[in-house]
Amino acid sequence: MLRFVIRRILWLVLVLFIVLAITFILMHLVPGGPWDREKALAPKVVEALNKRYGLDKPLWEQFFNYIGGVLHGDLGISYSRSDRTVTSILMEGLPKTATLGVLAFILAQALGIPFGMAAALKQNSLIDYISVLFATIFASIPGFVLGILLMIIFSVTLHWLPTSGWGSVQQLIMPVLCLAALPAAQSARITRASTLDVMRQDYVRTARSKGLMENVVRVRHIFRNSLIPVVTVAGPELANLVTGSFIIENLFAIPGIGRMFVQGIGARDYSLIMGSILFYAITIALLNLVVDILYAAIDPRIRLE
Amino acid sequence: MNKRTIVFSLMATLITLSLVFTGACSSEEGKPKPGSLKDPQEITLNLGGEVVTIDPNRASWSNERSVIMQCFDGLLAFNADLSLKAMVAKEIPTVANKGISSDGKTYTFKLKTNVTWSDGKKVTAKDFEYSIKRMLSPDLAAEYASFYFAIVGAENYFSATEKTAAEKTALRNAVGVTAKDDYTLEIKLNDALPTFINLMALWPSYPVRQDIIEQYGETWTAPPHYIGNGPFVLQEWVQQDHYTFVRNENYWGTKPYLTKVTYEEITDINVCLAAYRNNEHDQAGVPAGTEKAIMADATLSPEIVRYAQLTTYAWQFNVTKAPYNNKLVRQAIATAIDRVAYIDKVRGGVGKPTTSWIPPGMPGYDANLGSQYAFNPTKARELLAQAGYSDPKTLKIKFQYANTGTNPTIAAFLQAQMKDNLGVDLTLEPMDPKAYSALYNSKQFDSCFTGWGADYPDPDNWLPQLYGTNAGNNKTQYSSAQFDAIAAQALKELNETKRLQLWADAAKIVSDDLPMAYIFNRETFVLKKPWVKGQVTTGMDGQIAGDMFLREIYIQK
Repeated sequence: MLRFVIRRILWLVLVLFIVLAITFILMHLVPGGPWDREKALAPKVVEALNKRYGLDKPLWEQFFNYIGGVLHGDLGISYSRSDRTVTSILMEGLPKTATLGVLAFILAQALGIPFGMAAALKQNSLIDYISVLFATIFASIPGFVLGILLMIIFSVTLHWLPTSGWGSVQQLIMPVLCLAALPAAQSARITRASTLDVMRQDYVRTARSKGLMENVVRVRHIFRNSLIPVVTVAGPELANLVTGSFIIENLFAIPGIGRMFVQGIGARDYSLIMGSILFYAITIALLNLVVDILYAAIDPRIRLE
Repeated sequence: MNKRTIVFSLMATLITLSLVFTGACSSEEGKPKPGSLKDPQEITLNLGGEVVTIDPNRASWSNERSVIMQCFDGLLAFNADLSLKAMVAKEIPTVANKGISSDGKTYTFKLKTNVTWSDGKKVTAKDFEYSIKRMLSPDLAAEYASFYFAIVGAENYFSATEKTAAEKTALRNAVGVTAKDDYTLEIKLNDALPTFINLMALWPSYPVRQDIIEQYGETWTAPPHYIGNGPFVLQEWVQQDHYTFVRNENYWGTKPYLTKVTYEEITDINVCLAAYRNNEHDQAGVPAGTEKAIMADATLSPEIVRYAQLTTYAWQFNVTKAPYNNKLVRQAIATAIDRVAYIDKVRGGVGKPTTSWIPPGMPGYDANLGSQYAFNPTKARELLAQAGYSDPKTLKIKFQYANTGTNPTIAAFLQAQMKDNLGVDLTLEPMDPKAYSALYNSKQFDSCFTGWGADYPDPDNWLPQLYGTNAGNNKTQYSSAQFDAIAAQALKELNETKRLQLWADAAKIVSDDLPMAYIFNRETFVLKKPWVKGQVTTGMDGQIAGDMFLREIYIQK
């Protein structure tokens, strides 16, 4: 187990290097640089800016300087927020995005798993139809549409909630609902499908035929086994939620990293893009690792070695 | 935004750099009646997107200026009608008061002696000397530094990126800005430049504190170190979320009514409007295209604030490329655009159709200039035939634009105009904003859609930079020896009447040659709550309407 984790982390270093290299190359291939704007800057100003940010050096040198910085924990200065370092920008935005993401994740699972399970256990009942109906609606309605709808109802019409911003519990409600809608729907659908599948397995029939109480069968045999696909999806889902959604953060004016990242791409803010990608890659890789470890915990047949 | 694959509709305009000045200005209601003031005097406004920097020396975007203007006062400032007034300076230097030497090359500013920083220290000429030299430093790479290259030694110093520290210091000392004593600042220019005085009212020349910057470095802009000499103090800055300003209780001038100003950073214009309707904000922009509905809304229509901006949008042609190198083709295109229909039918009447470059409300505006290109489809077809395209189908033209804000709308409109009025197929090429800017700056485009907003209200900010041969913002590659000769003369001309006449002559040459088809002037359209009084809007407003005179605003009960 420990060897497995260490090996995976060593691989991660290589993966991160490759991810950074690809990002760096793509970033410089995209037309337009950080100083391109319609009202052109004087050539001497562009020269001075390039010098200030080290963009006057050959690309390979810029890349290795960057990697050198990363190894020392320095992600550089942002070009589009030039009073700030990338590290401080990420550190300021991350807790906000993560708070939203984790709350949305918990809400999604708290709604999705019970509803999915109930729908499967009482297949073709009213609760099944309601669960499928809501799952379909939430899976198909885009976040920004849901967000605007909520805003019109709860802010503009009822005046119950502030439209946007950060700092109070009220300001969390609408963005968390919007973020949770799709993963909740996905969770419900996957839980339902996998529960139905597990219910037809031989070991469930065996458990019942040896006279176990229905609740014991459900909890010990059906529930536990049906969670494997749910956990598989939940890992990337959580990664997706804690790295932030541009659309939701932009709509609700959340000072998070999802919004910063997309603005960084638009501004060709190379150091902010690289820093965000690095963070995303680490988050996704670590959550995948957690998912693998959870597999082994849920299903003893799965061995990590 | 913007500007930015993801574009914020707030930045619905193509002009993002620099300020936009307007001709019209409005001052309503005047002073508050006694007892009518609400307690507390607080206002919440929306700044839109996050700034790059709020360091006055380095700033260049309109939202940055919205912040800087509250916290700093320069030597000079603009009045509501865009004329200059003395701020930290005792008076505006002129030849008569010996503030300007007779050759127009030396400016002497006498400073008021009662001006203080928000921490109580005196503002002196040394602060201005430090600030201007810092702004010209090659290491700082300030974006507006090139505007100040008229100062002796400025360009040499700014270009010294590769020099040693000692060489840089020597070049810095050679810059022609000197504090003669605590309250006298002398600035020497390479050559006479009568519009130079405007630059002393712009933010890059505002004073900054040497001791603070040396102590805190790049992070000096974070409160509580962001010390200025303006009517408000920045108390809190939460990135991407909000700015809180409080009244500067040490302010040397008339203190503002407002005790607290909050700028929030909502980037989605629809949400901005929702926040306004939910009474979270006191002022809001509206999504483009909704203006007509808002004018028809009984609650919102009395809250509309509209005023013209010193911004012109134009269809630019690459005059070195066929078929755009043919003046008759350009004239045919310009004559085939029904600008009035665009403003009235597409934009709900917001904006002003134009056939010339310099907008109304600025010196040098001529209402009749370009009237020969007013919409006339018959004449347009004749011009096209004269150009050698008797079959319009044979003319192939392409149009590149940043795919943001209202640009797709104007692109579709122009495409339809070309088809309906000329029978010509216009190929549209929408682009990512940065990719578009790179194409535009490299002058590789065919024809494109771009605007220009004033940095200061004078033709010399509008003509030589865009139409001078090889000038920095001349992307059409237009070149006229006659224009260049007149512009060179006009830039230095000390006689104001003669100077404006020279610019009028230069403008006429451009209007005849038509490297761009001028389409419309921009108009600001925002909503303001009825309890917000004393608002003064000007063409110098930054991102927030009325932000130049927040010090005049009061909240009525």
